[in-house]
Amino acid sequence: MLTRLLDLGLNRISNIIMDMANLSVRSVDTAIDSYEKGTGSEQQIFEWSEQLRVLQDEVAELAMELIARYQPVATDLRFIRSCMEISYGFSRFGRYAYDIMDIIGTMGSISHCDKSSVLEMASTAREMIHMSIKALQTQDKNAAEKLYVMDDTVDALYRKYLREIITPTNKKEMKEMAKDPRCYLSTLLILRYLERIADHACYIGDSVHYIATGTSSPRR
Amino acid sequence: MTSEEYANSSVDYRLSRDSSSQLGYKVSVKSLNSWFGAKQALKDINFSVKENTITSLIGPSGCGKTTLIRCLNRMNEMTTSATVKGSVYLDDVDIYDTRVDPVTIKRRIGMVFQKPNPFPTMSIYDNVAAGLKLNGVKDKKLIGEIVEDSLKSAVLWDEVKDELGKPGSSLSGGQQQRLCIARALAMQPEVLLMDEPTSALDPIASSKIEGLINDLKKDLTIIIITHNMQQAARVSDYTAFMYLGEMIEYGPTKQIFENPTKELTERYISGKFG
Repeated sequence: MLTRLLDLGLNRISNIIMDMANLSVRSVDTAIDSYEKGTGSEQQIFEWSEQLRVLQDEVAELAMELIARYQPVATDLRFIRSCMEISYGFSRFGRYAYDIMDIIGTMGSISHCDKSSVLEMASTAREMIHMSIKALQTQDKNAAEKLYVMDDTVDALYRKYLREIITPTNKKEMKEMAKDPRCYLSTLLILRYLERIADHACYIGDSVHYIATGTSSPRR
Repeated sequence: MTSEEYANSSVDYRLSRDSSSQLGYKVSVKSLNSWFGAKQALKDINFSVKENTITSLIGPSGCGKTTLIRCLNRMNEMTTSATVKGSVYLDDVDIYDTRVDPVTIKRRIGMVFQKPNPFPTMSIYDNVAAGLKLNGVKDKKLIGEIVEDSLKSAVLWDEVKDELGKPGSSLSGGQQQRLCIARALAMQPEVLLMDEPTSALDPIASSKIEGLINDLKKDLTIIIITHNMQQAARVSDYTAFMYLGEMIEYGPTKQIFENPTKELTERYISGKFG
């Protein structure tokens, strides 16, 4: 069968999306490793984040061109629309990775802080990113449901930590907070970024569901 | 025929009828099958068209679109080998009932063809008035009013009002097609069938016809055949996809073009075959 002209454009947009997926994974992984081990470069992640923003614009430009030139319909149209949403998600992953690095840089040395909450949530968030990318590659329309279950875990962790901060249960905890508020601030802010990463992973799952079925994900 | 008789004659066919369909459907097709000799052209077609909507019929060449719309106003009977089984309801009355006058049906269900076909020897005025005169309307004032109204409805009046005596064939392709639409409108139809009305026209003329079709739907129910999928997507409220004599899918145009339920429909509208 002859290749449709539209297919050439769809392949190009798919390739850009997968490039964004790989770059956003690298960005988030590097940021979290940097938090845990003190390695990594803020400048490098800033460049990756900028690159993701540029690629997002490229996806939008290409999507507009495909729509104007070829008037795609049905699955093709849903795919193109979803690519614009998905590229935004990957761009946000890169931005949050940069924000995490920015916190690490701003707070100074936080190697003495308890990192367990962040690392726990980071593990789930990373898994969600990988799941959302796999869902995109395999067009798994059921991934959205699984991602939302994991998102509930992330949200619960975030709220738990928030409660602990705003309602310290004893004087010892309050003293520790006053001694070095950087630990609690950095943890809270990074948890917030990870919580948003989890949200965007869910949105990518929603987009995959929409491409496959033409309907919104049930949870949404 | 006096003006009063003409005004009343649009409802003059021999069966008593309920003028409003119970479910808001102007045309309903039930178990329609059609043959040309031994070859079956339409297979068990069932669908209903809501009043004041535009429905487009799409599908590859030879799928039965033209056969279907010609069945909707009994034009198929002009082909000697054509036979039909099933029903086509216009406002709850089966047009194939033996008591129904086919001439009246053709007046109530007008048709516009792919190639503009104004009567070549007649003036613009006479082209529009032809149907009225053939139906016995003699009142010149009434004829003049109807001609003007029809040309205005076809968005042609301003372009031709000072040259109504010129031959219809002197107009451009797009103008000729609008003249044919005016000629159909002069008979005050309730349904308008259009068989690829813009395929012989340039894009600008086509765009004007599309705008006209959209304006007309407030007074008419329109069924249009088109090979141009983008036109179907632009113009119609409902779309029916046909293939090998069957109606594969029928639904709101937005749903058909964003999320068709049948894989064959998706493949056709995506350009993967046909």
